[in-house]
Amino acid sequence: MTNWVRACATDAIDAEDLIMWEHDGRSFAIYNTDQGFFATDGLCTHQHYPLEDGIVIGTVIECPLHGGRFEVTTGEALSAPVCEDLKTYPVKIEGGSVYLAID
Amino acid sequence: MNAPETYAATNAASTGVSIDRKRLKALARRTDRPGLVFIAKWLAALACSSFAIWLALGSWWVWPAMLAHGVILCVPAYALSHETAHGTAFKTRWLNEAVLWATSFIYIEEPLHRRYTHTNHHTFTWHAGKDSQMPFATPMDFRGWLQEVSGFGLARFHIAAMLRLAAARYTPMMREVVPESELPKLTRNARLFLALYALLAGLIVWGVGWPLWFLVLPRVLGAPAMLLFTLIQHVEMQENSPSILESTRSFGTSRTGRFLYMNMNHHIEHHLYPQVPFFALPELHEELRDQLPKPDPGFWRTNLEVLSVVLRRSLGRHTKARSIRQAPHMIGQGRFERIAERTM
Ligand code: FES
Repeated sequence: MTNWVRACATDAIDAEDLIMWEHDGRSFAIYNTDQGFFATDGLCTHQHYPLEDGIVIGTVIECPLHGGRFEVTTGEALSAPVCEDLKTYPVKIEGGSVYLAID
Repeated sequence: MNAPETYAATNAASTGVSIDRKRLKALARRTDRPGLVFIAKWLAALACSSFAIWLALGSWWVWPAMLAHGVILCVPAYALSHETAHGTAFKTRWLNEAVLWATSFIYIEEPLHRRYTHTNHHTFTWHAGKDSQMPFATPMDFRGWLQEVSGFGLARFHIAAMLRLAAARYTPMMREVVPESELPKLTRNARLFLALYALLAGLIVWGVGWPLWFLVLPRVLGAPAMLLFTLIQHVEMQENSPSILESTRSFGTSRTGRFLYMNMNHHIEHHLYPQVPFFALPELHEELRDQLPKPDPGFWRTNLEVLSVVLRRSLGRHTKARSIRQAPHMIGQGRFERIAERTM
């Protein structure tokens, strides 16, 4: 059974932006892109830096520390210095809220 | 160098500088236009200086023409390879990567090595033994200055790094800053670069003149100008500090200087927020002005003061500079304890 957890209101995230959301001692990044809402782990896989101040370009998040890039729809690491993919989480929108499926 | 999870990278957070998040996002926004305009102007300037060399061929005027061409070639090539290593020069990724390759070829550094070592420089800015881009030992003396500004030290490092990468004989620092799985890519790229350099050398030996007059000699002659810009980014500043304000220097410079160096005279601002592209650095400077020290005086004055300090240090005289910022331990007389060895 999927464990859907409400994270935030949809309008809490600007278009082409992300927010960090802390839950159960873990941080998640939730993105509002032109393709919809997506969620990944909140820390970069390179040096575990928070992605919060990163730039969202289309469906790509660029880490603010060294510019490593991830595809947020799949978590794929796109360019150096990141080599390890980001974990992604299913997202659903209901009643103006963003829900994440957390394992 | 892989920072432990608890290590705070040297940036705005470790320095205690802050900016409104929305404003930062706006400043960090990417676009292709400023980078394309920059390249168009750069190529136009190179066309003019190439024409001057062509006119002067056969007379001694060719030397000043090659020097001017070299400055126009080297400083922006360095600045562009730096900006594209960050991935901030263009919104379009392939454009960014293509320019990274072309300018790193001129800078003589394998592009991924450029990116990874610079990544590390931002994580451990001016930390002895950890920052993989400390080009000279500190405190600097006149010998170190000569080695740096002549371009000899950097050329030796770049050539050795290229050969080592091509031979897959990685240094401990390379293994530290580059993930194991990426090293074969660096080796492939270094071999490709070496093949292209060999092709240029072959053309010259074959009697083709243009690579010599328009590329090789200007690259050698222009390197000191490029290195005078990079020298003052951190020289005389504090090693091993979490604060970018203590480890890094911003300085004023002319419009020409700002153009050639792509606004990197705002070097503190760049280290605080490396995600902000070159064209937004003046605005970032305005935004942070109240939290930053006053920039050091112009490019020439800062460099003359640095030269005066290192000369006096070598002569055992007092090393207080007239106006540029210096870490407290850089000021004194007599013997100076070595703090950092060069890592490049
Ligand atoms: S910490 Fe994200 S790219 Fe280095």
